[in-house]
Parts: sequence; C-alpha cells; structure tokens
Amino acid sequence: MTTTLVAPKLPPSTHPFAEIVHRLEAGGSMLPDTPENLMQIIGIYKAYAVPMDFYWRDLLYIAEQVFVDPLPIFKYIIPEEYLKLANHYAGENADLRIWRGPATAHPELLEFMEKGELKRKLPRILHHLWHDRINMEFAEECMRAMLWHRDMGGLLDPYMDSEEYKQNADRAIRAYCQGNPLLMGLYKLFPDMFLELCRQATMYSVLGLFWEVMAPVFFEMSDLYDEGKITSVPEAMNFLVNAIFSIAGRPIYHRVRIRGEWYDIVPKSKGFTWLYEAAFPYVEAVFYRTSPFRGTKSYNAQANQVPVNQLDFHYGILYADKFPVASAGIPPTLLHQDMYHFLPPYLVEYYRKHCRGEDDMLIQLGISFQRSMYNVTSAVIQAGRAAFLYPLDDPNPRHLMMNRRYFEGQLNRFTRPEYGIREAARLSYIQDQNYR
Amino acid sequence: MLNAVIILPILGSLLLFLGLGGRRLAAILAGISLSISLFLFTRFDLQATGFQWEQRWDWLPQIGLSYSLGLDGLSLLMVALNGLLTLIAILAAEPEVKRPNLFYGCILLMSGSVNGAFAAQNLLLFFLFYELVLIPSYLLISIWGSPKRDYAAIKFLIYTSVSAVSLLAAFLAIYWLGDPHSFELAEIRISSLSPATQTLVLLAVIVAFGVKMPLVPLHTWLPDAYGESSPPVAILLGGILSKLGTYGIFRFGLQLFPQAWADLDELLAWWGAIAVLLGALAAIAQKDIKRMVAYSSIGHMGYILLGMAAATPISLTGAIVQMISHGLILALLFDLVGLVERKVGTRDLNVLNGLLNPLRGLPTVSALLILGSMASAGIPGLLGFVAEFLIFQGSYSDFPLPTLLSICGTGLTAVYFVILLNRTCFGRLDNRTAYYPRVQGWERIPAFVLTALILWFGIQPMNLVKWPQPLAFTLSAQVAQAQTHTLASYSP
Repeated sequence: MTTTLVAPKLPPSTHPFAEIVHRLEAGGSMLPDTPENLMQIIGIYKAYAVPMDFYWRDLLYIAEQVFVDPLPIFKYIIPEEYLKLANHYAGENADLRIWRGPATAHPELLEFMEKGELKRKLPRILHHLWHDRINMEFAEECMRAMLWHRDMGGLLDPYMDSEEYKQNADRAIRAYCQGNPLLMGLYKLFPDMFLELCRQATMYSVLGLFWEVMAPVFFEMSDLYDEGKITSVPEAMNFLVNAIFSIAGRPIYHRVRIRGEWYDIVPKSKGFTWLYEAAFPYVEAVFYRTSPFRGTKSYNAQANQVPVNQLDFHYGILYADKFPVASAGIPPTLLHQDMYHFLPPYLVEYYRKHCRGEDDMLIQLGISFQRSMYNVTSAVIQAGRAAFLYPLDDPNPRHLMMNRRYFEGQLNRFTRPEYGIREAARLSYIQDQNYR
Repeated sequence: MLNAVIILPILGSLLLFLGLGGRRLAAILAGISLSISLFLFTRFDLQATGFQWEQRWDWLPQIGLSYSLGLDGLSLLMVALNGLLTLIAILAAEPEVKRPNLFYGCILLMSGSVNGAFAAQNLLLFFLFYELVLIPSYLLISIWGSPKRDYAAIKFLIYTSVSAVSLLAAFLAIYWLGDPHSFELAEIRISSLSPATQTLVLLAVIVAFGVKMPLVPLHTWLPDAYGESSPPVAILLGGILSKLGTYGIFRFGLQLFPQAWADLDELLAWWGAIAVLLGALAAIAQKDIKRMVAYSSIGHMGYILLGMAAATPISLTGAIVQMISHGLILALLFDLVGLVERKVGTRDLNVLNGLLNPLRGLPTVSALLILGSMASAGIPGLLGFVAEFLIFQGSYSDFPLPTLLSICGTGLTAVYFVILLNRTCFGRLDNRTAYYPRVQGWERIPAFVLTALILWFGIQPMNLVKWPQPLAFTLSAQVAQAQTHTLASYSP
C-alpha cells in the first residue's frame, strides 16, 4: 500500500490548490514535508494518544454500562476494570498487535489519573470537580457530531433505523429498566427518547472502537520517530495509510452489559467494519463538518456563512480558527488542555521558542494539531484513492486523470467561496511554516 | 519650593542636553518635581482666597518684567497634573528611543516651562514661559513623530505663532491702555479700559488660547500634531499643553475681564456646544484610533468652555475638574493607543481586531482602553462623569439649549468609543498576522497609575473638587457682580 513517486504523465493541474494536488499525486501529504512539520505532528500524535487512551475506554464504558441512564452524573469516572481493559491492538495477547507497548492504559495516563496536574493524590471526585482530569467533553462532542451528521455513507447508519436494531434496543432498554418503575414508566411515556439515547450509546461505542485503534497507532508512530525510523511527513502519512488498511476490516459493534449479562445492540455478526462505519464517518463529521455551535470556527450567520445544506457544513478542525469568537464546531480548548499534559519535551522546547512561549502554548499546540489532522486527512484521502481508484504509478493516463479528479474533488472542500471558505480554510495557512 | 518645580526640570534639561544623565535622571527629576507639587497640597490653605507662596523679583523693571510667582487652587492642580504627566510620558517612552538625551531634555524643558507659565503672576513672564514651551514642543513633534511629523510640526508652529501674536497684542494692550501701566496680575485694573476695549482684548485672549486648547475652528493643527507625534509627546500635548490654553482663558480671560466675559457668555456657551458636537462627529468619522482620540479632545474642550461661559460656582468647578479629568483620561488613552501601535504596528481601525484575546492579544491594554473610553464618555463612577455632571448641572440654568446639546455630545462620545472598542478590542484576531509581542510589566505601569487616579477621583470626587472651589466661587461672584452692574447700567 505504500506509495511511490512517479514522473508526471499529466499536464499541470489548474486547481486553486494545484501545488497540493501535485503533491498528493506524488504520494505526499497536504502538509509540506519539512522536519519541523514532522516534529510537530508526531509530537502531537503522542500527546493526543495519551488522552485518547482514556477517551476510548470511557466511551466504551458509557456505551456498555451507562447506556441510557437519563442522569449519567458519574459517566466520566470510569471503573478500574475499564482503565485496565486490554486494548485489542497492543500487548502480548492482542488480536492484532500494532503497538509494542502494554495492553493496559499508557503509563503516563495512569500516572495522571492518580495524581493529576496537581501532582497530589486526592479523592478522584476532587480532581474531577477541579477539572484536573482528562476532559471527556471533547470526545463527547466528536460523538455528537457523528450522531448528528448521519447519512455519511456506510451501512450502520441505516441499520440504526431498522426494525432489528429497534428490537435489540428495546430488549436491552427493558432489561436496563427492569426493577425501576420510574425508569420503566419513563420508557413507556417516551420510547423514542430512549431509542435515541440508545443510538447515542451506539455512537459512543463506534467512536470508542475507532479510538481504540488510533491510540496505539499514534503511540507506535511516536516510538518510531524517536528511534529515527520515521523521517518525513509522507512516511508518517503512509504509516497511517498502512495502519488504516490493516485495521480496515475490524468489527464495529455495540453491546451492553446489564447485571452481568451482555445484550447485543449491534452484533458483530452484522459485519460492520472499522474503515467504513467509524473511520470515514469520523473524518467527515469531525474534521470537516461538525456544527455551527460552540467550538473552533468564527462565522457570521447574518452573512449566510451557515450553509442551508447540512452536507456543506464546514466547522471541523481543518477549518478551525486559532482565535475563535462566536464560533462553531468541536470545542478544541479542552482537548488542547488534555494534550498539554502529555507533550513530549522536544515539542515543549519548540513552543517555548516561538510566539509567547509558555503563555500561548495552547494556541501553538492547536495549530500543530491542525497540521497533524491535515496529515491524517491526507492519509484518509490516499486510503480512499487506494480503495476506490488507481495506484499512483498506474501507467494509464486516464486512470491517473481519475485519481486527479478525485484529489481535486477532495480539495474543493477547501475552496467554497460562497461560504468564505477560500479565506477560512486553513489549508493554505499550514503551507506556511511560520503559521503558528 | 515653588521655584524648584520650575528650575529643577529646566536645569535637568540642560544637563541632558549636555549629554549627562539619561532616562533615569529625567525620571528622577520629574519624580522630584511631582513630589514637590504634591507636598504643596499639604501646605495649601483652602480657606485663603488669592494666591499663595507669592514671590516677586524685579527682573527687567524697565519693560515691566518681573519674576512673580504664586499658586491658587487652579494653578496648583495644573502644576501637579503637569508633574504627573511628565513622569508618565517619560515612563511611557520606548526605552530605545533615538537621541534619548535630547528627547528627555525636551520633555523636562517643556515641563519646567509649563510650570513657570502656570505659576507666573506677571503677564510678560507668562508669555516668556508660554513661548519657551514652543521650542521643545516643536522638536518633540518634528524629531520623534510618525512619517508626516514635519508637516504636523510646521503646522503646529504656525498656529502657535498666531496664538503668540494674538496673546502678545492682548497683553500689550492691557499694559498700554490700562492704568497703571503694569504687567503684574495683582496690579492690573481692567476697569480702566473702556468696555469695547475690554471686549476686543478678551477676544484676542480667547483666540490666543483657543488655538492652544484648541477650540473649533482653530483646531486643525491638533489631529496632525497629536496623530503624528509619538505617544509620550501626544500625552504631553493633549494632557498638558492644551491645559495651558484653558488655564489662560481662565486666568487672563474670565478672571481679568469679568465684565466683558458676562457680555460674551452666551456666544461662548454656544461656541462650546458646537465644539462638543463637531469634535464628536469628527471623531466618529476617523479610521485612525489616535486621530479619533485626538478629535475627542476637541469635544472635551467644548465642555470646559461651556462651564466657563456659565460661570456659576458649580460649572466653574466642573470646568476645572474637567481640565484634570481630560488630562488624565487623554493621557491614558494616548498611552494605550501608543502601546497598541507599538505592538500591533498599526492604528487603522479597519485592520485592528480582537485585541481582547487573552492568549495572543493585548488583554490588559484592551481592558484599560475600555475603562478609559468609559471614563471619557462620562460613565458614572469614573472621573469623566464627575466633571461633565458638574458642568451640565452648573450650566443648565443659564444656558439650557447649549447644555442639552452638549449632553447629546456625550452620547456621541459613547458612539465613537463604541466604534473604537468594537473594532479594536472585540471581534477576532487575524489568524495570519496575530503574532504581537506581549506587553511587558513596566509598560503597563503608566496606564495603571492613570487608571487608579481616574477610578479614585471618580469614587471620591471631593478629593479633587475641594481645591478649585474657592477660586470658582470668587470668579463666579465677580462675573455675577459684573452682570448686575451691566443690568443696572441698562435700567432706566
């Protein structure tokens, strides 16, 4: 699956982002290949992977045990069993080992869970109330974006409207409400609300399963970079492409444990797979679309900057302002705060040397995150090309032209003048090394 | 003691011109001068009318020039304001200012000269100090300003020369036509001049000082001079130099010519109201934040003229408080605008945005800018409100329509400051360009000091109001007496 460079067989592209089209055609990333970019994105992958190691565990806990609890007050305080839950892609007994590290939570995460930013061991509730914790709010916003932007391809979405799903959900909800007349009464009164809560729990599970893969992938990339085995941005991107394809067929499912018994809501036997039901919808919902609510992108609704069509939403991290005001999309601040705790020393040193150093590290970190997500998106674009189109070194110019149309179509998402996106998209910004 | 606040800065300036000392010496001398003026407050007798610490030395008796000094509540406040703003200007200057000795020397020379003018009891001595101020002012604008500083400096020079000619003509008329022939303030008997002569001389005085304040339509040098000069110089020009104008009208217009003042008061009240409105409307039209603040100054001078025109004890107190208020608030605004320009590199309202951003903006500067704008717009709890309220309350009974128009002017003040704040502080920073250096702790000190005073006097106005009150009552009584006299002369 690794791409190779080829001599151009096509005339130059006339796309506004022609330079980036040519780079993608040459097997590169949307992010320019510089040592500084590589250092930033790998450092951020590592800093992102540690909280992500918590996110997927808590997401699965919420999906499997909190389920349709109408008052999930303690959903962010996960039981020890989920903190020790074995990752399927790491450790000695992994189904498919992609990280040489342990299956349990990352050591830095465990240390943080114990003492937090305060570096003092206090009752967990105190750490939680002091906001000295991993902020699950970001993860939940991602989940909500995926739930809200339904119909993004795949088979799981129509399945969640099927009779089979409703029956599975009904069985699980009844079991959950059993012995609780108040909850049972509420279910009888508002069955649709509980069904929607169940769909939300399914999406918790989908995102948890997605990140269960991504966390060890990012850890592995960080380790390889430290060992000098990843030396360029395209190599980092290709590592992601290869990871995506090696994991692509892993199952996506949702099951609930009620009083020790497992209930399947989305059984593994349905054959829903990681790439189509989790990875693509995640990138689409979180990187591109999200929603014109709180978050990362400034917009002016009066100037028709909120599209009529939900498909045209563009409030994702790829468009994010580093100075959002009256803004939209996934709120990044809490994620930045999470990553801030786990930055590798070389990245901290790098940030100290630029802009306002310690004072605006969260913003610098946000820009690095944006760069790294452009690289992830590049990997997804290349994976999509590899899955649906032709190799980059295909000898047939017609095939290469189809590849180009695909790349240009992807990049068109950053050239939407009707919403001011030509100015708002950060693709042109990240081409500049001094954009921090 | 009084000599020290004049001589010390002038001697200091000479040392600096000789290449001795530097910023630190300038700051120390300005600090000592300020401390002395503050000490004078502790020795000032609030019950006494007239001048205190009077002294006289016949310098050139042949031409009537004497070194006569003295302070009353008005001039003491002005000397203290001058001392404070001189120190603030030195602290607000960029440490790497080019030709520092000349720069700080000019500031000290200006400060000493202004103190001399405020304390002078001899018209010729006042005129000498008044003219001496011109030299450092011109140099400060022409050497350390923005690219168009030469134009601004020449324009300033021409206008102030006209002011000087008009003032000299007025003083010579007082000397030649008066009886006795004297330049001594205490010896001048204006009643020896005919009413028509009094009116003409008063008009000459108003024109002379109206240029300095400045008053519409004598103001056109101001936007260029304030806009093109460096922030410390703008602080001095707006905070102190304009007060020479208002002080001159108080001392040599209202105080010397109560009869003629009473005859012209309605004209002056309307003049003040028009200045308020025109200044505010011109400020609204600006795209440069420094010029916007500069135009706001014109409007605020209008309030002072309105208060003086009404000449009631309350309005006169308000006018004097407005002089202090304007000095402090304008200095704060120019200091902050200067910081914005230094860090962001522009004063253009169409470019500035989102400076309240806590991580990459200038949050403290923006917060203080909001407070300074509120003070300038007369928001209660801040010094600007005290001054404007006193002026409006004192003027309404005599001149209701000009007062109401001026109150509308405060509304317009709020309009342009909302525009300024909305464009500058709120909104979003530009992702590509917002790499502004952070404001250092020492750079904030001048603004914090000024803000503290604006807040303190806003909450405790009596600490300020009590000083000019005796003079306000005296002047008001003089004008009232003159009006009674006029009415009596018209009665059958």
